[in-house]
Amino acid sequence: MNKFSQLLAAIAAGLAVFVAAWFFIQAGHHGSVPAIAADAVAPAAASPAKGAPIDSSKCILPTDYMRAHHMQELNKWRKDSVRDGNRTFVNPEGAHFDKSLNTCMGCHGSNPMFCFMCHEYANVKPTCWNCHLSPMEVPQ
Amino acid sequence: MKKVLNPLIAVIVLALIPYAGITYGKLDYVFAIVIPYAAAAILVLGMLFRLVDWIRRPVPFNIPTTCGQEQSLDWVKTNPLECPSNPFMAAMRVLSEVFLFRSLFRNTKAELHSGPKLVYGSHKWLWLGGLAFHWSMLVIVVRHARFFLETLPMPIGLLESFDSFLDVTVPAFYITDAIALAAITFLVLRRLSDEKMRILSLSTDYFPLFLFGAIAVIGISMRYVTKVNVMPVKSLAMTLAHFGFDAPEPIGVLFYIHLFLVCVLLAYIPFSKLVHMGGIFLSPTRNLPNNSRAWRHVNPWNPDIKFRTYAEYEDEFREKMKKAGLPVEKQ
Repeated sequence: MNKFSQLLAAIAAGLAVFVAAWFFIQAGHHGSVPAIAADAVAPAAASPAKGAPIDSSKCILPTDYMRAHHMQELNKWRKDSVRDGNRTFVNPEGAHFDKSLNTCMGCHGSNPMFCFMCHEYANVKPTCWNCHLSPMEVPQ
Repeated sequence: MKKVLNPLIAVIVLALIPYAGITYGKLDYVFAIVIPYAAAAILVLGMLFRLVDWIRRPVPFNIPTTCGQEQSLDWVKTNPLECPSNPFMAAMRVLSEVFLFRSLFRNTKAELHSGPKLVYGSHKWLWLGGLAFHWSMLVIVVRHARFFLETLPMPIGLLESFDSFLDVTVPAFYITDAIALAAITFLVLRRLSDEKMRILSLSTDYFPLFLFGAIAVIGISMRYVTKVNVMPVKSLAMTLAHFGFDAPEPIGVLFYIHLFLVCVLLAYIPFSKLVHMGGIFLSPTRNLPNNSRAWRHVNPWNPDIKFRTYAEYEDEFREKMKKAGLPVEKQ
């Protein structure tokens, strides 16, 4: 009986690890994105190959939301555009955006320190610039 | 069951305090500045009080626990770590206990089988679970330095990159987060799954586990799921690290629950079983070398006694003794 309960505890602990790992992986792919419920409709509506024209006149989602969630949003954009071929993002107001870093950089690229100021301050090192040209490297 | 439910309810109530205070009371300043400083003060003063109290206690006997051959004749093989004969090896033994939990590695279990037959066996799960919990908690605490320091020292950066080397999820998934959660789950289940453990466990055993669990779950949630804007968190941490008193910018209520539970934990440490983090260094059964045959262990309780030898006695009374016809050693 004792041995059985220990085995049960071990299995439960192992299960907790797997559930936690699965949870994190799911969280990383989808995030908690209540702000863009309309996004689910987008793949059907959008033409598969070409995205919307680059529109950098306004931000895709509210600033407060982007401050906390931009990394998850960018990660989702990468998966959608590179792996699923879905390049059009529709925000809750119905505006269309191309799922591309260029959409962001249209505005935020004007300040080459835009990303680095906060990331340096918070000691966060994103992996974006392992592949992409960072605004610091683009001649102004 | 009360022993489990009461601490669980206590943790939930503690978590609701900052929730109510921030949502309805707008007490950001109290929860961000006042309570963290108060908790830090309680921790430092409480630990000092505890440790100074323990250091002042006399140790009347040389009482190290040993489980190996002590230093003897040259041709007898000694076990310097299990039976340290000098302060250096005693310190090594304390450190190996602190870093590797060697005494837990010797943990055994006793089971009553049908017969009736009592069976003893090796039981390493507590050692493994405890080690996983303590080390991952240490890594997590060290990782938080990125909030309190302006530039991250290289070793902490390395630690972070090792911890997130799986490179899954955004923000990068830390392995220690999962290990800590799994270890806490195991440590709770360990107490609940066995009749003997259920009887032995007290509510003060469950409370820290639930508190750690709540802190970890909320912290993990803030990192991966219900995101929090990091900038005001960083500036608040910098303010606290510089002993400043600037009011924080608005931060999510989840962060304040995390911070408040950490403050409760810090203030709770000196007055609970968690004080073992300091006490382990002061335990005379561990930190004394087993050298009672080579050195006389002087009891600090001994009063200062003035001894008088027979030679001094005879010096004083020699003439009188001679007159009385008593034999004297020196003429």
